[in-house]
Amino acid sequence: MDKSFYTIFKTFFKVGTLLLGGGYVILPLLQSELVDKKGWIDSDGLCEYYALGQSVPGIIAANMSIFVGYKLRGQIGALAAVLGIVSPAFLTIVLLASILEEIVHLSFIQSIFWGVGIGVIMLLYLATKEMWNKSIIDKFTCIIFFASFILSACFKVSPALIIILSIIAGIIYRKKHQDSVGEKILRECKDDLS
Amino acid sequence: MIYLELFLQFFHIGLFSYGGGYATLPFLFHIAEVQKWYTAKQLTDMIAISTITPGPVGVNVATFAGFATSGLLGALVATTSIILPSYILVIIISKLLEQFKTNKNVQAAIYALKPAGCGLLAAVGIDLFVSNANIWGMVLLGILFFISTKQKRDPLFYLGVSAIAGLAAGYMHLIS
Repeated sequence: MDKSFYTIFKTFFKVGTLLLGGGYVILPLLQSELVDKKGWIDSDGLCEYYALGQSVPGIIAANMSIFVGYKLRGQIGALAAVLGIVSPAFLTIVLLASILEEIVHLSFIQSIFWGVGIGVIMLLYLATKEMWNKSIIDKFTCIIFFASFILSACFKVSPALIIILSIIAGIIYRKKHQDSVGEKILRECKDDLS
Repeated sequence: MIYLELFLQFFHIGLFSYGGGYATLPFLFHIAEVQKWYTAKQLTDMIAISTITPGPVGVNVATFAGFATSGLLGALVATTSIILPSYILVIIISKLLEQFKTNKNVQAAIYALKPAGCGLLAAVGIDLFVSNANIWGMVLLGILFFISTKQKRDPLFYLGVSAIAGLAAGYMHLIS
């Protein structure tokens, strides 16, 4: 099984290129590339990394890539995987950003941006709903949700401070069934892929 | 020193955003308000573009924000620094996998972090909703919402519909 820097980079570069529309497609994509085509990990392993990827801060697709890359070839594999997943996004945006500055003042472009500005609100609603389903599982998580929401929306408290406060709240409150969040993701992932 | 500031801001986003690419948005809107490197309107455009271009949305938006702040080097600094905390943490966790999965404090923190990330994102949604509150915008949002209750669609679908609606609205001079 070929696990060279180049092969790992190329595989994740492909995933990064096909990853459109905001991460919803990451699971089926990784399943097809890593599990079916390359056989680097199995479905259960993928789900485990999916759950773990969400337990780490930052972009989930990047987290999962680093986990898998590290498992394949240690530090070298992790570096190859993260460079692979990030490069397509980086290159596309750098190219687009320069073009965009030239065309952004055109009136039909302005009209499109007016429309997609509304579309983005819809996407935020959908993303929030998806996160809600994954993370609000009892009274405590519900309280954390509304507390964060109110502190941010009404009092403009910095997001980092809210995150730190919620960590403290979680540790003070901790109780027996606290790992059920990770287990829920793992279970749903296995259902999705089977 | 703009690059050092970029590094610090995006590193802190990478470290504190919980819940994936969209979870970085509350931080990026906060930057728009405090640092004024770009406006909230520009950021909204960036989110739309990031959704229709290849790659994780979080990476796209970071690259975009860095580029808007200080060109190619800014894009490189922003993208590297938003990923760096993930890289360091994932390597550490990979080495201590069993301890990580069973440590009570870690699990308790994660348990509380996710709803917090979700609450922050909801606040951004409400902010954008309020700042876009004009009649035709609400009509379009109502239509998108109605479609979503009928059938689950891809994010690209909603952006496609709203782009076309935007063009139509511009053509009919409904938006100024």
